[in-house]
Amino acid sequence: MRRLSLQRRLVAASAVLALVVGGVFVAMILALSDMHDAREQEARSKEATASAFALQSLVLDIERNLRGYVFSGQNAFLPTYERSVRQLPTSLKKFEAVTQGEPRQGDQVKYLTSSIRLYEEDYASLVLQLAKEKSLGAAREAARQEGAFRINDIQKWFRKFHLTEAQLTEDRAQSADAKTTHAIELGVAGLSLSSALILLFGFYLARSIARPVREAAVGATELAQGDLSRRLSQSGPGEVGELTTAFNRMAESLQRAHEELAAQNKQLRESERLKSDLVNTVSHELRTPLSGVLGFTKLLLTREFDSESRRHYLGIVDAQARRLSDLINDFLDVRKIEEGRFERAQELVDVGVLLRDEATLYSLQSQHHELALDVPETPLPVLGSPDRLRQVIGNLFSNAIKYSPQGGRVEVSAGMQGDAVRVEVHDDGIGIPAEQQSRIFTKFFRADAAASGIPGTGLGLSVSRDIVESHGGHIGFVSTEGEGTTFFLELPGADGAADQLQRNPADRPKERTSQ
Amino acid sequence: MDNRKTILICDDEPALRELIRASLDEGYLFAEASDGLTALELAREVEPDIVVLDLMLPRLGGLEVLARLRADEHLRDVPVLVITAWNETREDVIAAGAAEFTSKPFDPDALKASIERLLEAA
Repeated sequence: MRRLSLQRRLVAASAVLALVVGGVFVAMILALSDMHDAREQEARSKEATASAFALQSLVLDIERNLRGYVFSGQNAFLPTYERSVRQLPTSLKKFEAVTQGEPRQGDQVKYLTSSIRLYEEDYASLVLQLAKEKSLGAAREAARQEGAFRINDIQKWFRKFHLTEAQLTEDRAQSADAKTTHAIELGVAGLSLSSALILLFGFYLARSIARPVREAAVGATELAQGDLSRRLSQSGPGEVGELTTAFNRMAESLQRAHEELAAQNKQLRESERLKSDLVNTVSHELRTPLSGVLGFTKLLLTREFDSESRRHYLGIVDAQARRLSDLINDFLDVRKIEEGRFERAQELVDVGVLLRDEATLYSLQSQHHELALDVPETPLPVLGSPDRLRQVIGNLFSNAIKYSPQGGRVEVSAGMQGDAVRVEVHDDGIGIPAEQQSRIFTKFFRADAAASGIPGTGLGLSVSRDIVESHGGHIGFVSTEGEGTTFFLELPGADGAADQLQRNPADRPKERTSQ
Repeated sequence: MDNRKTILICDDEPALRELIRASLDEGYLFAEASDGLTALELAREVEPDIVVLDLMLPRLGGLEVLARLRADEHLRDVPVLVITAWNETREDVIAAGAAEFTSKPFDPDALKASIERLLEAA
């Protein structure tokens, strides 16, 4: 039903309506025609009765004048008699004509007409002749006997005829009344039915077209005013249903596009914010070493110092300039990673050695922190870039120290886990708030670090993750705010490489100095 | 009685502490702190004539150090010269209680002049 198009439904409904109205009219015309027939028959009955009375009075005229002449012998009766006899055939024919098609009267009519003809031919004319030419007495005798008999018989049949005809007229009048009533009833019923159907059709149009269309218009207005979650109820036949479906599809795609735009916008704003943070970070990170370089250079240029101080200050300038250079390298790393051109050396590296080297370096940087190493003497071999892996470990150590500003113990453990080398770095520092944990690998994201006065570029973890992943490994963390953080990383171990590392211990110092 | 002025230098970067020292003439006593909490402890201990304060400090930020100095009855009037690499405005820092504001990188001669002027005014 739902698949039937609205157009077809409307055509079908109109056809049904037309058929019903047509049928009603045909039935009404038939009923009117019946009624007309019945009225006609009724009129014919009346005509037959009138014709019968006329015939009867003519016959009685003939008899009365015949008797008058026979019994009085006066000729004055003759003209009337003769005129009546002349009129008789016409009257008979007329009577026969109007009673034709009256099967119920057929026999009576036949009997009556033949009786009347016989009365005129076999009796009346004979009696008159007898009276005129021979004996008035014999004629009187015949009139008295046979005439009376015949007239009585004719009168009797006329009465019968009148009775029957009255009955017929009565019946026909009743039938005509009934048919009239029937025609009126049929007309009223047909008109009512047609009106009801037209009303129904109107309701159907309003319900299935006007209402959904208005709803769609209201929905479109609300949609235009910004209510993108507006949907129409899936109703309406055929094309109207298609309209609501199309409307809902359009609203859905609008909403989706809008949400995508909003998400993109949010991302853009976030990225804008990060960039602006970066500008602050870079300016801060660069300004501190730059202050050292510029400050000492100016002092050396404008004041006199002994050679030992001069050398010392130049050393500081050199170290600060290197720090600047390292920072710039960090930024460049990010660029390289972003552009997908990150070089990766395929060297055999002992992660244990890297951990010990970096621990020595970082334990010198902070008097407040103790670095506790739990690293096996046996090699932890991986394939990759020693410089890059050193960068990752250095970053984890530096974070552990920076984010436990009250000082404390940083625990470093490492070992083989299956075929992989696993490293864990644990601190008892400030931890990472749960709501920020999903973002800490995001570039330039520094949690609350900037506000807490903790230095950094916000690049370390992002770069570290890219390095670890480019080595086929992964990096992660577990942290509770206020209790501390454990970072771990797993790198695929280099199969069968442990022996090689042990046989060539001379490689190890070379790695150590390669940064 | 030693009548040399005491200067408290608070910066987490040793090279910058050294630069500030080298910028000044001889004849001062120096106290140095590399984080905010140490800076406060030292300030209470030595009661310096002037504090040179970096705003980005571990453990306790420079602005918080400044606020606590201003709240301390013994240290309330000690002039504080703020050095920062951040983009704080001079107005904000002065409003927070600093006597002078210098941003990084700074000129050693200008720093020296500022410190001498603040010490004379005190």
